[in-house]
Amino acid sequence: MNRRVFLKNSSLASGALFVPGFLKACDAVPSLAMGAKKLVVIQLSGGNDGLNTLVQHTNDNYLKNRPVIARTKQQLLSVSDELGFHESLKAFKGLYDEGYVSVMNSVGYPNPSRSHFRSTDIWHTASGSDAYLQTGWVGRYLEKVSNSPLGAIEVDDTLSLLMKGENINGIATKDARLFYRTTQDPFFSNVLSANTDAHLSEHNLGYLYKTALEAKSSAGYIYEKTKVYESKASYPKNAFGKQLKTISEFINSGLETQIYYASLGGFDTHANQVNAQKRLLEVYSEGIAAFMADLKSTGALKDTLVLTFSEFGRRLKQNTANGTDHGAANMVFLMGENLKHKGMYNQAPDLVNLDANGDIKYQIDFRDIYASLLKEWLATEPSTILKGRFQTLGLI
Amino acid sequence: MEKAHILHLYQRAGFGIGPKTFSNIQGLNRSKIVEGLFEDSGKIAPLTIPTPEIDEHLATKPMDRKSKRFKELVKKSRKKHVVYNRAWVNRMAQTQEVLRERMTLFWANHFVMRSRNIVFSQHYNNTLRTHALGNFKDFVVAVAQEPGMLDYLNNQQSKKGAPNENFARELMELFTLGVGRYTETDIKEAARAFTGWRHDPLGNFKFAKKRHDAGEKTFLGTKGNFSGEDIIALILKQPACAQFIAGKVYRHFVNDKVDEARVAAIAKVFSKNYDISAMMRFIFMSDWFYDAENMMSKIKSPIDLLVGLMRVVPFNWEKPQQLKYIERLLGQVLLEPPNVAGWPEGRSWIDANTMMVRLKLPSVLLKNGEIAFDVKGEFEDSFEAFSKKNNFSRKLNIATNWEAFEAQYGHLTDEELAFYLLGGAVRSGTKRFLQTLELENKQDFCIQLMSLPEYQLC
Repeated sequence: MNRRVFLKNSSLASGALFVPGFLKACDAVPSLAMGAKKLVVIQLSGGNDGLNTLVQHTNDNYLKNRPVIARTKQQLLSVSDELGFHESLKAFKGLYDEGYVSVMNSVGYPNPSRSHFRSTDIWHTASGSDAYLQTGWVGRYLEKVSNSPLGAIEVDDTLSLLMKGENINGIATKDARLFYRTTQDPFFSNVLSANTDAHLSEHNLGYLYKTALEAKSSAGYIYEKTKVYESKASYPKNAFGKQLKTISEFINSGLETQIYYASLGGFDTHANQVNAQKRLLEVYSEGIAAFMADLKSTGALKDTLVLTFSEFGRRLKQNTANGTDHGAANMVFLMGENLKHKGMYNQAPDLVNLDANGDIKYQIDFRDIYASLLKEWLATEPSTILKGRFQTLGLI
Repeated sequence: MEKAHILHLYQRAGFGIGPKTFSNIQGLNRSKIVEGLFEDSGKIAPLTIPTPEIDEHLATKPMDRKSKRFKELVKKSRKKHVVYNRAWVNRMAQTQEVLRERMTLFWANHFVMRSRNIVFSQHYNNTLRTHALGNFKDFVVAVAQEPGMLDYLNNQQSKKGAPNENFARELMELFTLGVGRYTETDIKEAARAFTGWRHDPLGNFKFAKKRHDAGEKTFLGTKGNFSGEDIIALILKQPACAQFIAGKVYRHFVNDKVDEARVAAIAKVFSKNYDISAMMRFIFMSDWFYDAENMMSKIKSPIDLLVGLMRVVPFNWEKPQQLKYIERLLGQVLLEPPNVAGWPEGRSWIDANTMMVRLKLPSVLLKNGEIAFDVKGEFEDSFEAFSKKNNFSRKLNIATNWEAFEAQYGHLTDEELAFYLLGGAVRSGTKRFLQTLELENKQDFCIQLMSLPEYQLC
């Protein structure tokens, strides 16, 4: 963070947080210094089948390799003569038509891993497939820029590697009130205040104390800040809709948190894919459209960018269980009001020139997208967060 | 054997120790006490609950999966999983065979499988129990032939000409070798060897010869007309296999931080015959196992935490669904692993949210306190569940047996009680704080001790 941005943001820090004394003592700079731009990261977990999401319905290779699960022109939402979105993406297609979506095709990385866990780790840590990092890129952003656990919130029960830094982790919460109530207990306040020495994070016990202290201060702050605001928009009544509504309420209530992460699971469609993907894409589409409309109506959309990715795509050739196996490169969606490339960023995947496994080859390195988001949206020098040099693509 | 060492051994090889067991083994030497753990776990007691309707369904011819009756059975199976979850937790909380149950829990997070069919889930759980202290090779073959696993990793659909790679990949990546010890070609070739491994509707393993690809395969540098068993044997010949398992065992039973030399020593013992008991005996007999840096250094898993509480103050979950809610809040629902890699364990159990739930848990459970549940639908279950979901607060229905606590712990001094619950883990600040408390009775003191961050360690 440069000095100018720091000065601009430092007013946010004044008195807003009651950070425990020892944590403050560890920090060289004020605890909360965040920009106004928000980034919402959504993972379609399990590996969404991108080839049935944006469909090349006239492509012989597509039809030949997917005799049972191919989508036909009549089913699809037409984008061009050769391309159409999956029929479940009606609401999403509306956003696309209005210029709120940028579709980036064939995103991946060299020597792709086809393991969910490894590939998710790679996307979360922004590593290459030959490196094993213990911190997520958002976690590193927390340490280098936000300097507070409150810089990023995962709207879920558990905290992903994405959100973990070396010494600062993001916060996981689906429900600010529940989170707050759990932390309000005089017994804990007393135990925690009896242990305020500085070297708390070296061993597991120190880690436990540090986490409890952070929980208490963060829960209080989030709750106080967000308790009044309630979104009036209507969201689909499912877990994903609830997550997005929570994010909207956090953003609209003025919480300084910059990065939000939520995931929608169930995309690992090895068998009987057609029905499962139909339902999942509908959940995604309806939820994200409600979210975008909600933010638009409050004016928050101009400062919010949404990134949707999946840890990998799926194989072109369907399997005998009418599903698809783990693949490689896949699509990424960017959504917001400030996109430089509305619509298709690049061509749909090449279905002829496949890799040795019969999977889509990557054209765009996902870390170039991260670098672009950091530089063009979050005003942060990418090399401070990402290991290695990556180009910025002029996305926003 | 030192008092603190006995506690350490029982925390890692079992689920903690109380004064009763302690008085029985006090004064014995290390080898006697370790042998005692193996003797106590000598027999294999399967864990079963009755599932008459599902059994009957499996025995009759396949049913239309869209029929109302089938959907009812799926629902019944889900409910039975909740009951089985409680039965498993109760087993761990009450058993004398602590080592076998500890190992069963460990392997359940190694050979990770999830099934919607309660009959398959039960069968799998008992296969884990049967082989928990046995031969690793027999174990891998048994796991590979489990109906739940055949379904979970899609081997049921795999056939000659169209092999499904899912099982072959996870077999090597997660069950035996670890990532990077094989090539993509090895996966494809291994997948061919497992074609034809299926189960019948009842869950019996069947080798379908017509679906099997008996052709030549090149696997890990050798050529042959390998069968599935051959592939497993070839994998186990790799030194990487014993090293991988030894590393995982070390992280789980000894310390999150791996000591390469010790892992190599464990792997050497293990690679001889892949005898799991021999490996565990070697660890528990090693001096380094009792190093101060290993004691009270691990973070309890949610199940460790719950079972530990139940072993100190016995209580019964009158409504099994409530146990499941608590497990979910803590981040570990038995029989519902997040994915085939299982729970990552260690510090990953702990974030701001789970930490606060953990600290609050003893008073909620043992003082019939209230806790707010966020009841969440699951993608795997049904989409209808989402619409019903809401937040609510509810009293837990728990029958606490404080008499049993008093009988075993009532005569102890405060310091002795603190030893059984916290070992030597208490921070100086906490010690000072505890001294300031007005101690009215032992039960409250017990709850306070269990509400400390220190109690999260084992």
